[in-house]
Amino acid sequence: MIEVAGLSKTFRVPQKEEGFAASLRSIWDRRYTDVEAVRGISFRIEPGERVGFLGPNGAGKTTTLKMLAGLLHPTAGQVRVLGHVPQARSPELLSRITLVMGQKQQLLWDLPPRETFALNRALYNVPEAEYRRTLDDLVDLLQLAPLLDRPVRNLSLGERMKCELAAALIHRPEVLFLDEPTIGLDVAMQQQVRAFILACNQRFNATILLTSHYMQDIQAITPRLLLIDQGSLCYDGSLDALARRVAPERRLIVRAADPALIPLLLPLGFAPEGADRGADRLVCTVPAGEANARIARLLQAAPMAEFEVESPPLEEVIRRVFQKNDQEKT
Amino acid sequence: MNLLRAFPAMMRIGFAEAVAYRAEMVVWVLATTLPLVMLGLWNAAAEGGPVGGYDQIAFTRYFVVILVVRHLTSVWLVWEVNWMIRTGSLSPWLLRPVSFLWWNLAQTLGGWPLRVLVILPLIAGIALWRPEIAWAPGPVALLAGAVSVLLALAAQYLVQCIFGALSFFLDQSVGLYNAWFAVWALLSGYALPVSLLPGWAQTLAVWLPFRATLGAPVSILLGEAPILPTLLFQAAWIAALALLARLTWEAGVRRYGAFGA
Repeated sequence: MIEVAGLSKTFRVPQKEEGFAASLRSIWDRRYTDVEAVRGISFRIEPGERVGFLGPNGAGKTTTLKMLAGLLHPTAGQVRVLGHVPQARSPELLSRITLVMGQKQQLLWDLPPRETFALNRALYNVPEAEYRRTLDDLVDLLQLAPLLDRPVRNLSLGERMKCELAAALIHRPEVLFLDEPTIGLDVAMQQQVRAFILACNQRFNATILLTSHYMQDIQAITPRLLLIDQGSLCYDGSLDALARRVAPERRLIVRAADPALIPLLLPLGFAPEGADRGADRLVCTVPAGEANARIARLLQAAPMAEFEVESPPLEEVIRRVFQKNDQEKT
Repeated sequence: MNLLRAFPAMMRIGFAEAVAYRAEMVVWVLATTLPLVMLGLWNAAAEGGPVGGYDQIAFTRYFVVILVVRHLTSVWLVWEVNWMIRTGSLSPWLLRPVSFLWWNLAQTLGGWPLRVLVILPLIAGIALWRPEIAWAPGPVALLAGAVSVLLALAAQYLVQCIFGALSFFLDQSVGLYNAWFAVWALLSGYALPVSLLPGWAQTLAVWLPFRATLGAPVSILLGEAPILPTLLFQAAWIAALALLARLTWEAGVRRYGAFGA
């Protein structure tokens, strides 16, 4: 389905110093530096999988996605998508994949979205009946009906994003590369788009590789994670396994509404969380394996205590992975 | 096959776009009035008698036909490609199974009806001013002229495709194209009839591709050039330009950085 082996991409970037003299010198003496955006990454994605591709800004996520979609030629390594070499850009492969880039539009700016959909129908040679069916599905899933006949320039960012998604899916691609599909959208719109992406996977068994800075996207959509940092892959596996490996602790939180409880809890390792959260919140961080025993002791000491158990948030888990990666490299 | 099936829909949407951009298009079309300026100049020069065999009527007729053919064959591909490469907006097109170049051609052809609507009043005005310019090319010349206009459009399109693709390698290629345009204006017959050029320049015009993009159909329609050799001259240059355009474009796409996307 998607096979990547030793994939690398190096960009040659012009360097220019500040000032008039530097501008003048750059006419005959252009300087370049090589930037290694992606460094020998390998992975494999099976049909129908949903995979999240995470990394800090400039980590190489979008560059990788562009190589997978055939937009960029790799400097080294091999890629195969649906059995094709993407950079050959064969019409057969292009008819079976799509790349949605959050900030880049394929919509015709001064025409209603309906015209872009019709253009894509023609370009992808989608039979009329199938086009009608797909468009009806997309209009229904993304609630596009009121937008179809308004010029794109008059749509809001969120409305345009929904139309971008629809335009990218008119030909029912088997592989969806989604680069920050929820960027800039409000919470309600983000939820709609997430639900839509999941529906695409479930209804058409579409394979999904998604980059996002929103952890909610990853939690809602992609059970498998690829983490990339400074061009190298530093994790490939499930979200749960990552959390277990990197952040194996639990936070026990007790709301001590009765101040008399506080002296009972302090010997168990609980401490007030912080002045800003209220002195009645007591927190104890324990290894995941010891959480049950600590809860038993808590209930023994204060049977009426109300408590909750928290895992570290995904943002924290990811932050720790990249921090560890940085430390190892330095 | 897919392209043939898709092309009518592409042209229809190209027309819808041209209508949406109608104000801009009218300004662009009206801005392409150099033939009218040259008509005024040569008209004044021929006041005392014919210049190089052209009297005032012949000059008027020549520049009216130049004006019409120029409007039917003008292409904006080089500016479009430069902008799309620099901003990364070419990316969505490289992900589609039909090339952006075909889409741009469909847009160009889709804009024809509007272009004709804009230049018709200009032609009518000139015809009222100088009714003697009327002439009737025979049906063969008319048909060959129409074919030659299409070939000129293809040649012009391929030239701009080559210059546009150079912007994959350079930061901007519009400057280079402008340099080409300066030479083109002289050797294609745009600024003056090629027969008024010095001998060495006429020799260059005979062999180089400039005439294939404009002068050739004008000569056929005015009955100044033999039909078959002129069409073959255009076809030969189209073959060479198509090969060069393909090589440049494909090499350029390999270097595309998809910036800004």
